[in-house]
Amino acid sequence: MPVDVQNRLLDPSILAQISNLELIAKTVVDGFVSGLHRSPDFGFSQEFAEYRAYTPGDDLRHVDWNVYARTEKAYLKRYRGETNTTVMVLLDVSASMGFGSGPLRKIDYAKILGASLVYLAHLQRDGTGLITFADDVTNFVRPSSRQGQLIRLLHGLDSATLGKRTEFARPFFELQRVMRRRGLTVLISDFYEDPETVIKTVEPLRYRGNEVVLFHVLDAREVEPVLDGPVLLLDMETDEAIETSADYAKTEYRGKIAAHIEAMRSKAQSAGLGYFLLRTDKPLDAALREYFKIREGKL
Amino acid sequence: MCFLSPLFLSGLVLLGLPLWLHLLRQYRRNPQPFSSVMFFERRLQSSTKHRRLRYITLLLLRLALLALLLLSFANPFVNRKSATAGKRKLIVFAIDRSFSMRTANELDQAKNEAMRVLRGLSGGDIGQILALDSRVESLAGPEPNHAALEAAIQTIQPTDEASSFGELTRALRVEAQTTGMQLDIHLFSDMQQTSMPANFKDLTLGPDAKLQIHKVGANSIANWAVESVVTSPHVYDVKRTQLTTTVTGWQTGEATRKITLSLDGRLLGTKSVTVPPGGRAQAQFLAFDVPYGPHRGKVSIEPHDSLPNDDEFNFAVERSDPRRVLFLYAAGNSREAFYYKAAIDSATDTGLIAEPFPLEQAAGKDFSKYAFVVLNDAGGLNDKTAQDLCAYVQHGGAALVVLGPSTARSGRVPLSATRTSDDRTIQGIGFIDSQHSALAGAGRFENVQFFQTNRITPKADAHVLARVSDGSPLLVEERMGEGRTLTFTSTIDNSSNDFPLHASFLPFVVQTARYLSGKEEGPSSVAAGTAVPLRQTRNEGTAADVLGPDGKHELSLAESTKAFTFDLKREGFYEIQRSGGQRQLVAVHADRRESDMRKVPNDTLDLWRNTGSATVEAKAGAPSTETRPFSLWRYFMILVVAAALVESVFGSRYLKEAGQSA
Repeated sequence: MPVDVQNRLLDPSILAQISNLELIAKTVVDGFVSGLHRSPDFGFSQEFAEYRAYTPGDDLRHVDWNVYARTEKAYLKRYRGETNTTVMVLLDVSASMGFGSGPLRKIDYAKILGASLVYLAHLQRDGTGLITFADDVTNFVRPSSRQGQLIRLLHGLDSATLGKRTEFARPFFELQRVMRRRGLTVLISDFYEDPETVIKTVEPLRYRGNEVVLFHVLDAREVEPVLDGPVLLLDMETDEAIETSADYAKTEYRGKIAAHIEAMRSKAQSAGLGYFLLRTDKPLDAALREYFKIREGKL
Repeated sequence: MCFLSPLFLSGLVLLGLPLWLHLLRQYRRNPQPFSSVMFFERRLQSSTKHRRLRYITLLLLRLALLALLLLSFANPFVNRKSATAGKRKLIVFAIDRSFSMRTANELDQAKNEAMRVLRGLSGGDIGQILALDSRVESLAGPEPNHAALEAAIQTIQPTDEASSFGELTRALRVEAQTTGMQLDIHLFSDMQQTSMPANFKDLTLGPDAKLQIHKVGANSIANWAVESVVTSPHVYDVKRTQLTTTVTGWQTGEATRKITLSLDGRLLGTKSVTVPPGGRAQAQFLAFDVPYGPHRGKVSIEPHDSLPNDDEFNFAVERSDPRRVLFLYAAGNSREAFYYKAAIDSATDTGLIAEPFPLEQAAGKDFSKYAFVVLNDAGGLNDKTAQDLCAYVQHGGAALVVLGPSTARSGRVPLSATRTSDDRTIQGIGFIDSQHSALAGAGRFENVQFFQTNRITPKADAHVLARVSDGSPLLVEERMGEGRTLTFTSTIDNSSNDFPLHASFLPFVVQTARYLSGKEEGPSSVAAGTAVPLRQTRNEGTAADVLGPDGKHELSLAESTKAFTFDLKREGFYEIQRSGGQRQLVAVHADRRESDMRKVPNDTLDLWRNTGSATVEAKAGAPSTETRPFSLWRYFMILVVAAALVESVFGSRYLKEAGQSA
């Protein structure tokens, strides 16, 4: 696929025109995978590892037909790289995620990202789960690689609605309960919280051998606000109103948000956590590449 | 620019309101949602120089709209010079055409003098011709056409009426007000003293009038005249005819005058009297023969003098048989008929004979043959007789309705259908309209006591002529079609009152009888200018007619059915037929005030002149300029409307922009 067509498929303005989340996820992932110039075959590793009994729903392309001819029983080939990694996607659905200045709000962008990640994990046969949270856990899909799990995850993402406040401790408490095995945790949020608090909440997972990636989703106008004169701003989570001026938004605010982003990055890196800043006006491939890098690094 | 209502300008302080609103709106905006304000700090624009007035055009339009509206209410005006017509001059020619102007050729002298003055005017002068007698009649103008004014003067003829300077002055004051012009008045008259009003104040002309008097005729003119003729206009017995005439001299010496009495041109008698200097003499003619019917009489004196027209005096007399008065009485109640007949018969000059008749036999009787009908205590009046009586009255008849105990028992007043009730309270007289023709000369009913009366409530259009002491009506007049009724609420015998025992009873019976029969003792001659009635109601179906002294019809077809009165302007005899069918011969004589030729003293004339202006300065037709306020409020209101339209256009545009930015 040509590069320009590939990039267009990952362009948020293009994705905003597609209403089906599953289709979006497939589009994004296919585009991403094609860009990697990999084999169209599913799976990334061609080194044979073992056989697994066929269960209804498995991809028939991976059935070893020679073995079937001999034994009249279906077996799937499993290759190196198809590990039993558990991937948990944690999606922040607090009120602040409803902000957006472009075709996609942050929550929409985060959903697409989350759907793409679960689809990618599904391709890699990882057991994938989902937690959506605001001031409490609003939805929990236990990680699994069984048939129908992708549908459940995509449905859980699609049906997620905005809550009110953000409370990181609750989902991670739940996560620690269900993550029996080491896995990969992806946290998608706008992180309007003290970076120290966030890292301290997330760090224990890392101590248990889990990989953690923080996807910091922000709108372009959150990073570079442009105000037309004095304005009264209303906090979408706390309902706090504050009058500010255009001059302040142009100068001091940008410095503060930049400092916050930098603090998140540095503290995450110091804690051994993956951190990636995502702007809703940028394509998703960079995020996916970051995920893929971490995923392979784990291997 | 000034303002008639400057108080409204205080509302200009309201101009601060749009300014405040625009600044406030600018400062206060709708809160914008933002994901998190944790990195924002409160920042205000403390410096006014940072406050920007947005929508400046809209603000200016609103300020202009408010300011223009307030200025409109303040009623601005500017003083502007306008060429307006000042008070122009009107030359008024008032020419006396009263009876006295017949003396010698005084009217011709007055007309010639008026023509002379008229011809002396400038071409553009505006003139008006007034003819003066008892009233003022405008014959021409105001107009600058002098030929038309001359023609109007030529048409002036003498009348038989007296002149009135008071009426002239009133008409001139009205003329000055209506025309707004200054009046230059030329009065052409013999200036008789009798033309002056009783109150000198009625001669006030005002500052816009200048009076110039052109006296005609000699200053002193001796004149004799037949001043009056007194005789009864109705004769029933030639043996009782009587006529008294008075001959008067003004500014005269002692003189002998031969008086001649004639009837329809037939000499009846002559007498000779000696009139003292400036005095009067009377002569009587008795038992002169008057044939049946109406006649035209004349009393004249000889020799004639400078005003021969007043040496003759017209009078009208009519001889007829006494007319009958039908007295309807209920059976067993003839006592009142006796009283009434005795009263009527005792007055020999009424020309009336009372004819008592039982009420029960009155059905089918022809009431039109009678002068009037007396309906005495008719409580049991049957419907047929009542209908016939009503029809009789409606067509010009008359009735005296006497109420007694029988009527009280029936509860209804005959003919009128008004409710009645018995009242046994002893009462005296409370009120009498002694000026009314029916009661003139009847006295005041002193000491009369009423033991029983019928208490009635007159109709709204009825006329109460007398009341008893508690205010209840005693005598009520009602009009019914062309006729009339008098209702007396007590009896006319001494059963319910002691009225017949008092001196006022006889005059009451006689006068009411005269009134109801239409034979009121009026004069045998009236002065020129007197108005006579032609009809009582607005029933246009009945026509009246008047033949003048020349035998010609004086009324048009339309007037004959509509006119209520007719003015007798000329000396002579008028034949009048009223709408009810009554015919009357009326004699008219010239107003004898005109026979007194004494002039108004010069000092009085000077006083009269001084009530006006000494000079009339304004030139005829000269326009003048004056400063007048010119109101501008309309123009301001037009600007208000325009500003409102433009403001609405801009306002809707900015509203759309604000909606989009929100």
